[in-house]
Amino acid sequence: MHSSVFRVPRSALAPVPQDLAEIYRTTYRALVRFLYRKVWDAERAEDLAQEAFARAVVHKPDNARGWLFIVAANMARDDARRAARERRHLTLLKAEPQASEPAAADDALHAESERTHVRAALEQLTPRDREVLLLWDSGLSYEEIAAQTGLARGAIGTTLARARRRLVEVYEAGQRGEHVARG
Amino acid sequence: MSHVDDGMLHAYLDGELAPADARGVDAHVAQCPDCRRRLDEERALIARAAELLALATPPDRQVPPFRAGDLKAPTRVWWRVRLPLAWAATVALALGIGSYLGREATLGGQAEMATDSEAARVRSLARRESRPEARGTVRTPPAAASAPAAVSPAPGRARADNIARPRPEPVESKPEGERPRELAAKIAAHKAASDERDAWQKANVISLDSARHVLGGDPVVVPGVPVEALYLGRGVGYSAVVIVQQALDSSTMIEVINARPASLQLDQVVVSGAPAAVADSVSAAESRELVPKSAPRPLRAAVQASPTLFRDVRGPLSPDSLAALRRRLQPLRPATGP
Repeated sequence: MHSSVFRVPRSALAPVPQDLAEIYRTTYRALVRFLYRKVWDAERAEDLAQEAFARAVVHKPDNARGWLFIVAANMARDDARRAARERRHLTLLKAEPQASEPAAADDALHAESERTHVRAALEQLTPRDREVLLLWDSGLSYEEIAAQTGLARGAIGTTLARARRRLVEVYEAGQRGEHVARG
Repeated sequence: MSHVDDGMLHAYLDGELAPADARGVDAHVAQCPDCRRRLDEERALIARAAELLALATPPDRQVPPFRAGDLKAPTRVWWRVRLPLAWAATVALALGIGSYLGREATLGGQAEMATDSEAARVRSLARRESRPEARGTVRTPPAAASAPAAVSPAPGRARADNIARPRPEPVESKPEGERPRELAAKIAAHKAASDERDAWQKANVISLDSARHVLGGDPVVVPGVPVEALYLGRGVGYSAVVIVQQALDSSTMIEVINARPASLQLDQVVVSGAPAAVADSVSAAESRELVPKSAPRPLRAAVQASPTLFRDVRGPLSPDSLAALRRRLQPLRPATGP
């Protein structure tokens, strides 16, 4: 009786299949980056990536790589929903001084402000386009992106073309707008 | 071959075109200056987009080593999965301790020698019983909720202990002899502690509206009895719990429990719907990210119909009276509301 009760958690501690360890080695950074572009908090992104891998250890999914990104996307969404309000507030607070005194911007501030601009541009994409772009940038193939997003494989190229164009356009427009406002 | 569209160009530049298609693009671009120019533009666009994305990158930190022991499996998953097993185990355990105590009583002081190790064993069993994963043991499985009279799987005893919580704890069996009594007291203490945790946890007071929202319908109450307060509760294995406190008279409070069972399916527990809904990440993202994600659809449907809600009444009353109250439960209507 007891052995049956306690059998399940032990399997969670069973040796990790070699391929999952390999996937971890090759995918962890990409997953963190993917998550970061959703939650915009490096530590949180790392936590969520760890959590996703922890779930993969338990779940042992067949296509672990794709699975990890699905899980990560879901977790990031839940996380965003919970913290959306505060974070938006914080971002506003952070963004303001940079906009008002760009001359004082050192390298870190500059990077921070560019990050903010890219983030703003990304947010102008439709969710579908953004997702496809982020997945591509995470190293997934068209095949994997199609499987994960439910899009036809043939539509990925078109979606990526649109997403990239929009990202660059919105970003450049933002830069121009800022120069105009400053000058 | 006609001109190459943007999607084709990007797939080509991403190296994701099938070899035959890629050769087709090569051939066309070779004899079409327009497409050659576009190819260069798209190549620059792709590079620029990648560049911008690279700006939105977290600081590069050491990849933590990957060892299974480092990763904490989400524990809640396990007790949910194990709930039915744990329930069975606890019933068996209770019976075992009961019969053990009985034997102990008859053996009396003569068992003195064995008792120390035995006591240790029973203590460890009792401890195990109070472990979090063994919680929820006294609770009725949702299926039985429709037959309110047959509520408790371990009839009377376990539930009565729960109910009698405000009063002095009734020790479940009172064996003779000094040693067993001490043992029994210890077990009772353990049991009281674990009952405390087993019991539905009351959190904050909520309004009737939020109770409706949480349950997806009216909470049930004993009609004609003044409602003192509604509490948001927690219960292991239940996704939503509302506890309605009613005053039978000035000194007798009863609590009506309305609980919505949580899904016990592993995939829904671990990742809300991920493996099943492949397109989830996109379709959900499209629903604007802030729309509360529904529970798995079948569950939501069940909530609307609401007969699957688990209902119970507890209070310092006899099991018969409680059963009678259970039969009288009615949805709380605004007219009779607080």
